[in-house]
Amino acid sequence: MTEQLPYAGITVVELADDPAGEHVGKLLADLGATVLKVEPPEGATSRRTGPYVTGREGDPDASLAFWTYNTGKQSITVEPSERAATVADLARTADVLLSTASPRELAEEGWSHEQLRADNPALVVLSVTPFGLTGPWADRRTSELVGLALGGTLNSCGYDDHSIPPVLPGGNQTYEMAASYAHIGLLLALIERQATGRGQLVDVSMHEANAVSGELANPYWFYPKAIVKRQTNRHAQPVATQSATFRCADGVYVYFALILSEPRAWKTLVDWMSDHDLAADLTDPAYDDVAYRQQSFSHVQELVEVFFLLMDSETAYHEGQRRGLPIGPLRALEELADDEHLRERGYFVDIDVDGTTATFPGVPYRTSAFHAVPGPPPRLGQHTDQIRAEEVAR
Amino acid sequence: MTTEPTEPGRVPGPRRGPLSGVRVADFCWMGVGSVATRLLADFGAEVIKIEDRNRLDTPRRLPIYKGDLRSYGDEDANPDPNKGGLFNNYCRNKLGVTINMKSESGRALAERLISASSVVTENFAPGVMERWGLTYDRLRELREDVIFARMSGYGHSGPHHEYRSYGPVIQAVSGMSFISGLPDREPSGWGLSYMDNQAAYYNSAALLMAIFNRQRTGQGMEVDASAVEIGISLLGPDLLDTLVNQRPSRRPGFPRGNRSAHDDVAPHGVYPAAGDDQWVAITVTDDAEWGRLVAAMGEPDWAREERFATGRGRREHEDDLDKLMTSWTSGLDKHAITELLQGAEVTAGAVQDPRDLDEVDPQIAARGTFFDLDHPVIGPARFEGTPIAFSETVQENWRSAPLLGEDNHYVFGEVLGLGDDELAELEAEGAI
Repeated sequence: MTEQLPYAGITVVELADDPAGEHVGKLLADLGATVLKVEPPEGATSRRTGPYVTGREGDPDASLAFWTYNTGKQSITVEPSERAATVADLARTADVLLSTASPRELAEEGWSHEQLRADNPALVVLSVTPFGLTGPWADRRTSELVGLALGGTLNSCGYDDHSIPPVLPGGNQTYEMAASYAHIGLLLALIERQATGRGQLVDVSMHEANAVSGELANPYWFYPKAIVKRQTNRHAQPVATQSATFRCADGVYVYFALILSEPRAWKTLVDWMSDHDLAADLTDPAYDDVAYRQQSFSHVQELVEVFFLLMDSETAYHEGQRRGLPIGPLRALEELADDEHLRERGYFVDIDVDGTTATFPGVPYRTSAFHAVPGPPPRLGQHTDQIRAEEVAR
Repeated sequence: MTTEPTEPGRVPGPRRGPLSGVRVADFCWMGVGSVATRLLADFGAEVIKIEDRNRLDTPRRLPIYKGDLRSYGDEDANPDPNKGGLFNNYCRNKLGVTINMKSESGRALAERLISASSVVTENFAPGVMERWGLTYDRLRELREDVIFARMSGYGHSGPHHEYRSYGPVIQAVSGMSFISGLPDREPSGWGLSYMDNQAAYYNSAALLMAIFNRQRTGQGMEVDASAVEIGISLLGPDLLDTLVNQRPSRRPGFPRGNRSAHDDVAPHGVYPAAGDDQWVAITVTDDAEWGRLVAAMGEPDWAREERFATGRGRREHEDDLDKLMTSWTSGLDKHAITELLQGAEVTAGAVQDPRDLDEVDPQIAARGTFFDLDHPVIGPARFEGTPIAFSETVQENWRSAPLLGEDNHYVFGEVLGLGDDELAELEAEGAI
């Protein structure tokens, strides 16, 4: 195993101030790049948003939002008056400039993409913005909720009861879709640079990243011209389908799509229910006929509801999976780190953050060539002196 | 069939883009794998999709057809494999061949194709590639610097690596469903296989990372990416709140529905607009933005109540605030609200459906996010493009998805150098 990480030797100047830009910077740092995060004296926005480490509320070095998206980076704080000169200096020898500024915000900076690229033709400018740098909406405002609304994702998410509005899925996903495409776009530019020696501008639009990530929603519109409708915790579809979540004895729901048309899955389910003496009349040969099963759908659904209600969710998960059924419990966050499978794969990692050991999610790539582990998130300005000294040395 | 002449404009040839010259033996199917390798095909790689006539790729079967509305599960018993819209969407710019991997000569042919490629991709259930003898060790014998990308739900090690999954199961097991919904009731989770897309994007990036790395070092690699692990990496700050602060997510008031995580941010919701099931999202970060919203709404008396003057006050009285906001939004068009509020520097946006994205949204139109390609069976069709504008890199959309086995002749004949008699023999014995 060559232990060199894939982005070793790549230097990134990060001017990112939202989860999209910060997460792509984190991926680059976790995989070996040197990521210089340029922050104002008061710190990036994520340092000033919670949640915080308990007892350290308001401490810019203890924001868990910052920790989430900024592992392994170096932090340099810069006074507003020195910002333009510092960015120009750092970008002159960097490989990548990562920016989340909208056109209007860029116009207020003392530097431009064009100027930085002219000074360093090999520079890749990775711009990750809510709508992209061009077009009529380029300077519009967004947020997690508004981004998912405009991008189409929210139209698919919520409850069967349509008096309840569409409901936001958790975890900053509108930004995550942009971060994923930013990683892809940067790599395409770096691969192209390997052949040409030239950098370029990579203009990632969060809105478009959302608009192309609706899975079935756009194809249902592009082909049969149908609009999908939201349904509780299962695929939005043009027509209503049966519930696919079942409540278990421990109050935890499992996801299990009851598909009556597949004979093998049906037999597996009935055998499983029989082993718990809960198959009732489903063993009747009449149910061997798919049409009869479909006619009796609500009866079947009720029996399956009772079956799961009498079993705890972990039993349902492992027994069902061992029988070959795709089933999964809706796990809460506190249940993840104890999962035996994730433990054996060493997914979660302990990171020393300023003398405190904290558990973090690991890098979601396992390879034969390297083993990547996130580094600690930097304290505000932790690397200012070091980066300044290196600047002078260059 | 392999002997049918290819239609004009569908003939494979040299590709443009940063990945031109990279040939991929692509065993991927379903959603995750097909979307992951589509990105490579879009940017110049020669992605050769390997299919089995006896076990059609599910998107070829799913009844997403022009002019024929059916639910996802309402498949034909013997569907036309070239009619599926989802397959067209997932497999544009790829070549398509058929190989019967149950036959010995089929497996030998696959190995020949792998030897002529430098990337191999798969997202089968665990054990399938092993059954065919296609382990990383074997692939390296065929091509020393091979990149072998394995995309699965749980990864290829650990006690649950054989568990079966698809998007909604991944979302459940990774915690993504639980954190999505109104407090104190069943989670609403996700109305799509979000993790199929995200796992695909992470796998596209892994493939590009490995190609970038190989061009620097000369070394290939095997990549094992688990969708559950990718999902957990996307949970955001709530995960560290639990891991670091031991704060359980099973707690009153969590998940937050459409409300903000911050105790001084409101309104923050999705409000009804004119029409059936039409909505608009509005989020107000601070008092200045609240002031702009009040002005844009025409200064209604309720909005000047003292209890709504500060973020904390608005948050404390959020149930009332949401009702009053609803009284303003109801009856107004969702796009009109968006225009009015964005014009007033207030963060707002209509809940857009795919028709809105395609026909109303001026940003999507200006950026050219969607594009059209013709297909021999389906006819003209619209595609979801790449949400990136590059100043240099070109995305060459040269062809819609391959018909079943459309490129057998080109790939086995011109690329691998098999003669017509050999091809005829393979066809006769059912190996291709």
